[in-house]
Amino acid sequence: MSSHIDAVPTLGVGILGAGPVTQAIHLPSLARLGDILTVRHIMDVDPSVAESVAARVGATHSTSIDALLGDASVDIVAICSPHQFHAAQVIAACRAGKKAVLCEKPFAMNAEEAAQISAVSEETGVPIIVGAMHTFDPGWLAASENWGELPENVHTIRSSIVLPPNARFEDFATEIITRPAGGAPDYSDPEVIKGALRGGIMGLAIHDLPLIRRFTPDFKDIEVLEARHVRPFGYVISLRTPTRTIELRAAMNNTWKPEWSFEAISDDAALRIDFTPSYVQAGSAVATFTRGNETTVHGPFEHNGYEGEWRELAALATGAKQPPSAQTLIDDLTFALDIADATVANLEIQQAHQAVAEGAHA
Amino acid sequence: MSASMETTHYTVRATPEAQDAGAVALAVASLPESFGPAVGNNQPHVQVIAGQPGWTTHAVEAISAGARGLVVVNPAAENTELLQAAAQQRGTVVVLDQRWASNPAIPAAEDAVRSMAGRAAVLDSVATAPVGTDSSELLADHLAAVVRVTGPLTGLRVLTRGPHGYTTTAVLANGAPVALQGVLSNARPAGVYVTLLTDDGGVSVKLPEPLAAWPANVRVTGPQGELLLPTIYESAHRATWRRLKEHLDAGTSPSDLHSFAALSETITALT
Repeated sequence: MSSHIDAVPTLGVGILGAGPVTQAIHLPSLARLGDILTVRHIMDVDPSVAESVAARVGATHSTSIDALLGDASVDIVAICSPHQFHAAQVIAACRAGKKAVLCEKPFAMNAEEAAQISAVSEETGVPIIVGAMHTFDPGWLAASENWGELPENVHTIRSSIVLPPNARFEDFATEIITRPAGGAPDYSDPEVIKGALRGGIMGLAIHDLPLIRRFTPDFKDIEVLEARHVRPFGYVISLRTPTRTIELRAAMNNTWKPEWSFEAISDDAALRIDFTPSYVQAGSAVATFTRGNETTVHGPFEHNGYEGEWRELAALATGAKQPPSAQTLIDDLTFALDIADATVANLEIQQAHQAVAEGAHA
Repeated sequence: MSASMETTHYTVRATPEAQDAGAVALAVASLPESFGPAVGNNQPHVQVIAGQPGWTTHAVEAISAGARGLVVVNPAAENTELLQAAAQQRGTVVVLDQRWASNPAIPAAEDAVRSMAGRAAVLDSVATAPVGTDSSELLADHLAAVVRVTGPLTGLRVLTRGPHGYTTTAVLANGAPVALQGVLSNARPAGVYVTLLTDDGGVSVKLPEPLAAWPANVRVTGPQGELLLPTIYESAHRATWRRLKEHLDAGTSPSDLHSFAALSETITALT
């Protein structure tokens, strides 16, 4: 008689890019899911980083994408490389016949790239999800199960983000071995401001833009009323569609006190979701509905949206769940790109007016 | 035998609109040694009027009729020049009972905000009021509260205004962006939030409606942690009446009308 029990094989994970997000977010999340997922391969262009990070989890390491995609033990590929490589790498992962792909946001830099990815995903049947972690947060999911007709009736939407520099929370999550060098931008240069705001939308606001889009049926008619830079890094952006007023606020400063909230308000009901900071394993968001004198709270739950992403990937890879429609991913991306483009255009108008005003005073 | 404490007792009469809007009966009843209702047709010491358009005319009439004190509940933006002159000439104490700006937590919030304003990175504020509220009135109440804590704003303009609220933009003296949003909804209690962020902390102010003695919530955040300023369980209405009493007893003039003149000018320019 044997006491041996056959273990259910876990799905193998390969990660392209071993920077702070991989080290502080994905590896700790995967450590909590050892019964379903095992990190098998870490790739980074810096061989010492690849080796060191891979050693933490007993995985193979390499410096080439081909080596990772050719590794038969890898079922799921996570793409955590710089933005400009995302589209090509997603396509390559699909063509390599992997079971599922996670791409960090944004999954493409323009609508054409997004359409190419969508076509390849459809052709190969490989499901793709984008790392918009809040859409996988159990607090958000609980809200979605309870919001009834709120998305149709909302008239005001707000996203507010106040965060310390990433390093504060990275250091609570792991021991980082490399960090990108930080610079001191020249905010007197209008081009720097434009770059900062575009980066703010595509790097920070983009986390919540899929949430906002969910409450904005006429999202294609988005208009930027005013966009302003908040020093040292942040934004105040006022948006409007024919039926919605949308306010985006963000400030990354040296505070210890984070706030990351999403609000959707109609005439008679309001939803507020308070998310936990990225990096730390601080559980899910808390969703609060208010309807006059009645308040209903959902959460907190034990895991956050990053872990939710990995649970979703495992379900997609095993066929237990169906992937989101490619159109959803494309719409999320083009919504973000439209806002980023309109923000830069709004800044250019402001700068032109300022130049005229300064000329008039000269 | 004990010595009796002598206090001045002022009689009060309110118009029906002001009685409702200012919860005058409750405020007066909560200061029984200082105020009481006027009896019969006797001229009251204190007249209370509602701040609907045209209120300055009624205020001047009340002063001419001999009121020593005047309370104006939720005054609409209006030119107060003649009223200021009349009040000064007759020595009448005119206090404004403003929905949020008269909250007793405002002075401490003002100190907290102004001590950090030079380092401000952004100021964000949201006012909520029930569906059906006139958004211009909401904006006026909202601005009154914000400028009480921040001081004058520059570049103030409305970005959008509609049946569900408004979005306005301005800048602080140091150039930091200011965003004021008004939201009309029955989903949440009416009130105002003001959040000032600096490089390493900030101030948050939450002002409730004066319907009850809900305390405002003022928090100051810095590198060492966060401080909740003492909570004051007193409505904006009662705080206004306490101020009135102090000025009547001392024979001093409040700065309400002077401050309101600047605010009125700003609001009029916006509409």
